[in-house]
Amino acid sequence: MIRIVAATAAALACAATAHAAERIALPSPIAPLSAQPPLAGGARTSAENVAHSISAATRVAVAIDEAGTPFAVTATQRLDVRGLGDYFFTIGAPVLAVRAPAESESVPGMRTGSIIWAGFNPGERVLVARATLEPAKAVTALPLRIRVSGDTITLENATGITVGAFTADAPRAPLVAYLARLRGEVAHGRTPLQTSVPLASVPANVRLTVAARLHVTGTIGRKRIDVQLAKRTQIHGRGRLDLRVEPVEQVDEVTVTSGRALLREAIRATLSLARSNQYEEFLGNPDPAGSSRTVYVYRTASPPHAAPIATIGRHHRTWVETALVVAALAAALVAGVALWARS
Amino acid sequence: MIVRRLALLAVVAPLLVGCGGKHDATATKHLSVVVNAPFSSTPYLGQAIENGTRLAAAQVNTIGIRVGEEHYSLTVRTMDTGLSPARAVANVRRAVSDGAIAIVDEGTGVDASWRIAARRGVPICIVFAGGHSLVNAATRPNVFRIAPTDHGVAFRLAEYLIPKHLKVALLHDDSDYGTAGAKELRRAFVGDPGSVAIDETLPADALDLSPQILRARRAHATALLVWGRPATIASAITAARSAGWDVPVYTPPTGADPFVRQQLADHPKWVDGLTFAAGRLTAEVGAQPFTGFTARYVAAYGVDRVGVHTAAGAAVTEPPETPMYAYDFVNLLAAALTKAGSTDPAKVTKALEEVTVEGANGDERAFNHSSHEGVVDDDVYFARFHDMTYTPVKDDPLSATLPTIPQTTQ
Repeated sequence: MIRIVAATAAALACAATAHAAERIALPSPIAPLSAQPPLAGGARTSAENVAHSISAATRVAVAIDEAGTPFAVTATQRLDVRGLGDYFFTIGAPVLAVRAPAESESVPGMRTGSIIWAGFNPGERVLVARATLEPAKAVTALPLRIRVSGDTITLENATGITVGAFTADAPRAPLVAYLARLRGEVAHGRTPLQTSVPLASVPANVRLTVAARLHVTGTIGRKRIDVQLAKRTQIHGRGRLDLRVEPVEQVDEVTVTSGRALLREAIRATLSLARSNQYEEFLGNPDPAGSSRTVYVYRTASPPHAAPIATIGRHHRTWVETALVVAALAAALVAGVALWARS
Repeated sequence: MIVRRLALLAVVAPLLVGCGGKHDATATKHLSVVVNAPFSSTPYLGQAIENGTRLAAAQVNTIGIRVGEEHYSLTVRTMDTGLSPARAVANVRRAVSDGAIAIVDEGTGVDASWRIAARRGVPICIVFAGGHSLVNAATRPNVFRIAPTDHGVAFRLAEYLIPKHLKVALLHDDSDYGTAGAKELRRAFVGDPGSVAIDETLPADALDLSPQILRARRAHATALLVWGRPATIASAITAARSAGWDVPVYTPPTGADPFVRQQLADHPKWVDGLTFAAGRLTAEVGAQPFTGFTARYVAAYGVDRVGVHTAAGAAVTEPPETPMYAYDFVNLLAAALTKAGSTDPAKVTKALEEVTVEGANGDERAFNHSSHEGVVDDDVYFARFHDMTYTPVKDDPLSATLPTIPQTTQ
């Protein structure tokens, strides 16, 4: 969080002095805009002097109740690790339990707030951890909120965030060129790069709300869903939800004419990419330069109910039963005495 | 009058007690670490564990351990098991009742002693025995281990030998160590039974293993994997070589025990080629951390001489592997005391799952909630003897990255 505040402050400071310098740095298309995701501080590596190349793919399974409220979150992260040597990875997560599926070539460890991987990589190694997460902590970092009310299902993009930015007049050509380059980098799966652009007026600070665009597919009952979700949508339907959510990294064609409007769109595009990039990393990747992909799957399920407390049946005699028992005992006593007297 | 005096006493006495009880916050308190090891039956091993523990405790005590407002230092106390489980259990009972903060253990008797320690949450760290069932984070929450596991050694041996397309004779002695190892070897080779020529039990106390080695030869074995005590390994090599059979021999860590070389000192060529699996002594950063640890160890306790010489006449020494494991545990214990902010053994045991230290070999040393093993299976490497000293092999990805540790002195 401190880093984010510092980065924002630095960006604003740059903005204030930029006109004199005539160039200003646009926001980074990959720097996170909030503390999470990734969860619990992300991932880090501490294995001596070995740098591993790692691709991370995470599948987050979210179990929701009939009202759309999440009650269980499980994350399965696959790390494809390349490079000869030791590794010691710490993947931050509010983890309750962790295990290795059969495809994993090692077994993960667990600490309070993290998954641990330690070992030696002979060149290529696949590490897979299936972690059960604390729902209360994991839910706040999920990209989609669902509300079910009767036959109306509201899907709400939960990635929106308001951040500091700036506005100014600017020459069009460099911005058009940068947006084209950004579009090409994203389309070809390359890491988008930050840039600086010239300004034509003193920049002014503004607040801007951006979100990661989400591609939501799946089914609601028998109805198929395929929507690009920028903010919120309502869908009519009934039945169980089975939705797949993927952050979309995309830069749209821009048709605006003024340099000021182009600058605003360029800033919005980079911040939106940064936000999408953030949600691609629900669990951190120990390789800062490695690729990360996350798919979120929301499914209706039955929340576990506490088992009903068993009631131990206690038999209470009525006064009639009690009187009969006393009478029987008294008769037995009398009979016994009589028998003893005659013997 | 008496009532008045009693009333006065009631007022003054607490004040006097308060004055006399002035607290000295700077005074250092002591926490006892018990070493439970076979000092009488295998003195080298017991001494190695004790030395590693004392070396770490001395270093920790140079700055002390701060727990809340108090300063603590570690004291080390030794108890001899004589390799007897009953004595080992009695020792742990006494250590726990005397308020030990932790027990560094060779492993004998832990199947019974862990429960006694668990009642007060006292952590036990095994630094030698590798039996699979000894450590289980879920069912034995106070038991930890820093030593290669039998499971890890067996699977690494299988991983190393199967691609060589050898017909391996699995030979194990009937000691607890040999029996446990045999179980793990069978699991490790179950996926490729064609690579096993014969599975044979050796009597641990037999002086002559010629009949068993002959059976392995007749089963067309092209390699011997001998899992047993050092004496068994020496006897198996003697039987094979004296029959003129130059078969490659592979062993678990006991193959590097000084006893094997001492037994074969008259035939140094018989030791050549002996390949053993063990926990790595160095990390990616190189040999420097372990060399530094060795220098501190030697300065404190002198070199551990194997008792044999190279062809050039240099005396062969034993790198301090077992002391390293005990040393690392004491450092983890100190980190856990600080993390726990308490000297309650149960809280320290929980904190041991949360701390990481740099081990004597430069590697990360740590436990976690789901694993109480401080040496991961990946850290098992292979080394081969030549001229009474050993060198990591080059045909295994991990071993090929490791430097050779100096093993001679004049």
